[in-house]
Amino acid sequence: MAATPADASSSSSEAVVGGEKSNKMITLISSDGESFEATEEAAKMSVTIKHMIEDGCADDGIPLPNVPAKILSMVIEYCNKHAADADDTNKHVADPADADEDDDNNNNNASAGEKEDLKSFDASLVAVDQATLFDIILAANFLSIKGLLDLACQKVADDIKDKSVEEVREIFKIENDFTKEEEEAVRKENAWAFNE
Amino acid sequence: APDPIDDPAPDPPPAMDAALPAAVVATILSRLDVRSLLLASAVCRCLRSCASHALSFLPAFHLDEEVLTHDLLRPLLPRNPALRSLRLDAARLDDAAVDCLARPGLHELTLRNCNGISGRLLRELSATCPDLRVLSLNSLADRRGLAMAFSDLKALLDGCSSLETLSLALDFSKFDDPSFSHVWSSASQGLSSLEMGFIPLQMLLALLAVAIESRQRIGYVKAPVFFPSLQKLRLTVEFITDDLIGSISTALPLLTHLDLQDSPIMEPESATATDLTDAGLQQINPKGKLKHLSLIRSQEFIYTSFRHVNDLGILLMSEKCSNLESICLGGFSRVTDTGFRAIIHSCPGLHKLKVTNGSHLTDLVFHDIVATSLCLTHVSLRWCTLLTDVGIERLSFNKDLNVLDLKDCKSLGDEAVRALSCLPRLRKLVLDGTVITNQAMEYLGAGVCPLASLSLRGCYKLTNDCIPLLLAGSVKESLHALDLSRIPSLTDDAIMVIVRARTPLTELRLRENPEIGDASVKALASMQFEGVTCGSTLQLLDLYDCGGITLLAMKWFKKPLFPRLRWLGLKGSLNRIMVDALVLTRPFLRLACGGEELGTPYRDTSGEWCRHEDDDSEDLEPWQLDGEPVSDAETTNEE
Repeated sequence: MAATPADASSSSSEAVVGGEKSNKMITLISSDGESFEATEEAAKMSVTIKHMIEDGCADDGIPLPNVPAKILSMVIEYCNKHAADADDTNKHVADPADADEDDDNNNNNASAGEKEDLKSFDASLVAVDQATLFDIILAANFLSIKGLLDLACQKVADDIKDKSVEEVREIFKIENDFTKEEEEAVRKENAWAFNE
Repeated sequence: APDPIDDPAPDPPPAMDAALPAAVVATILSRLDVRSLLLASAVCRCLRSCASHALSFLPAFHLDEEVLTHDLLRPLLPRNPALRSLRLDAARLDDAAVDCLARPGLHELTLRNCNGISGRLLRELSATCPDLRVLSLNSLADRRGLAMAFSDLKALLDGCSSLETLSLALDFSKFDDPSFSHVWSSASQGLSSLEMGFIPLQMLLALLAVAIESRQRIGYVKAPVFFPSLQKLRLTVEFITDDLIGSISTALPLLTHLDLQDSPIMEPESATATDLTDAGLQQINPKGKLKHLSLIRSQEFIYTSFRHVNDLGILLMSEKCSNLESICLGGFSRVTDTGFRAIIHSCPGLHKLKVTNGSHLTDLVFHDIVATSLCLTHVSLRWCTLLTDVGIERLSFNKDLNVLDLKDCKSLGDEAVRALSCLPRLRKLVLDGTVITNQAMEYLGAGVCPLASLSLRGCYKLTNDCIPLLLAGSVKESLHALDLSRIPSLTDDAIMVIVRARTPLTELRLRENPEIGDASVKALASMQFEGVTCGSTLQLLDLYDCGGITLLAMKWFKKPLFPRLRWLGLKGSLNRIMVDALVLTRPFLRLACGGEELGTPYRDTSGEWCRHEDDDSEDLEPWQLDGEPVSDAETTNEE
């Protein structure tokens, strides 16, 4: 999403027609003052923002003092992609008239291809340096975007998996603050796990 | 320290424990496998407390490779209302652990080796886990003196009314009771998959008779309903007979997976009531819904086969089996190419084909396999001694082949392997007992197969030179499991080549090789790898009856060498004191001194790939019809 200068009147307020997608745009303001626009649907993937919209606090743009611009743009990209996917799934479900087997197969193939696209999008989103990954996690945590939080946490977990203790310290720059006795005790408690 | 006048150095990346709130770190850790979680707890104080917290909301606790005692397990399984799935090896557990295992909120419980646990587990599960969906236990209460009775089964079926998958790989004759048949009407209506380890034929027929009778009374008020949702059935009986097939087909017409095995202790007579005939085969799959069929006559006790089934039966059966995706036929010794071809040509969706003891199966079966649109991924043709390289060449037109087992196809040689080396998806290849030479290894080494598992047991024509040929290409990177047992000319030099190639092997079997000795052990112990782990990656090493192994080798098994070793096979005649001392220092090493096969057979209880790995009774080589004695039989089921 391109950044636009902060504009108090940027949000259009079309009335939501029953059953149709709302075209209302929400403005989100990063910690460094940049404004980003997102559809209401995408923005509501964040439970935090959803509540703010429902409480009527969203009309002048939502300030997000915890989220820097770089991260906010990635988060919005995620929400746009996944909101669109959720919508497509609903569309497929909503067409039960497609009793024809061929059609069903086509639908399945189409959504299988879309799922692959989504998977590779997700993978590339979290293939970033550690600092950025942590920032994404913090943002997803603050904004309560479950899918993004799960995705980013899983990436960190994958980086920890099957590594030795020293390797984990090295990769995540963690200082060993155990005393010698404490560390021995921890290792002894579950000796079977420590390559012994 | 950076000079403040110059550009300031970029901020160092933040330490994880400082950057993220503890709750988030705990969430991250809860996504790890148990072992990685415990390793993380030794990183720093923050991670230790986060790991401890994570243990109280882990959704799944799966520990397949280790066998823990109750004392070790208890602190890892605190009160955790979020735990839905528990999978363990229970070999060191007894009834004291039942409270730990039967916990509220559990949806899935899989326990291997429950020999030390009694039927009390079933009663506890019924009381504590009403939402249980999947239960898989084997060898429950096998140990002498442990009680298990029909009342335990009844409690389980009454209490766990959400069960979808029930797998009790144990002897159901322990549950014999006048009410055995009727209790199944109170089982979960959603039960879709049922496995019974062994059930006496009469007990099973009685149950099916009650189920059939009840179906005929549907519509009457209060008629009991039996197995309304059952789709998958897997069990072993003494004899598979026409009556049994007929009863199953009538009682359970909607089955999609049927897996039957028998192990006769005497020759069945020819009457319909006592054996499977063509007429019985014709009754299988009445509504054509079967996707997976497995019929195996095991030779666990005597050398026998389905003598009363011939091509006609297979032909009639295959007419209804157009939906079959997977078929296993073991012991159909009278079926010829006509029958096997009928299957291949009648089942366009077939992916998995397994034939054991196909003594009349020849190359003709695969002659025009190209003309079909078959997409075989798993093929096992054991003891098909008439199969030659030509047949394999034809078979290898199936470019999707993933797993190929050609054990004891004694007419296969190098040309077959040349054809196979072009298969871009072949991960597992078994060539035990074939007459291949080093040339075959050259083909594999130069080929494109991403081989992860290769078994060459008993390929007596191979020599040391085969190893560098095999490891010349990409196989070197992909290979994890290698079986070089019973290759008489293999020496320590071959093992040196493996070590120098740094192949990341996790399993290596060198059973009964007279020239393998201490030098091999020393070399394997010194294997170094950069990156992930230091030291040997070997988890399983089988040196049973290797001629050159002496007591001196023992020192190479001491810690920290072989850090990942969990299975070790040695000849029992080595000094017991030293061997026992080794076991004491390495409590998690499982030692086999009596020649047992190593490794936990992976039980694929989904029934998809039928009884492939754990059916050790098939490893008993049959006495050949022409009286030729075979080499020492491998020991039976190590469970």
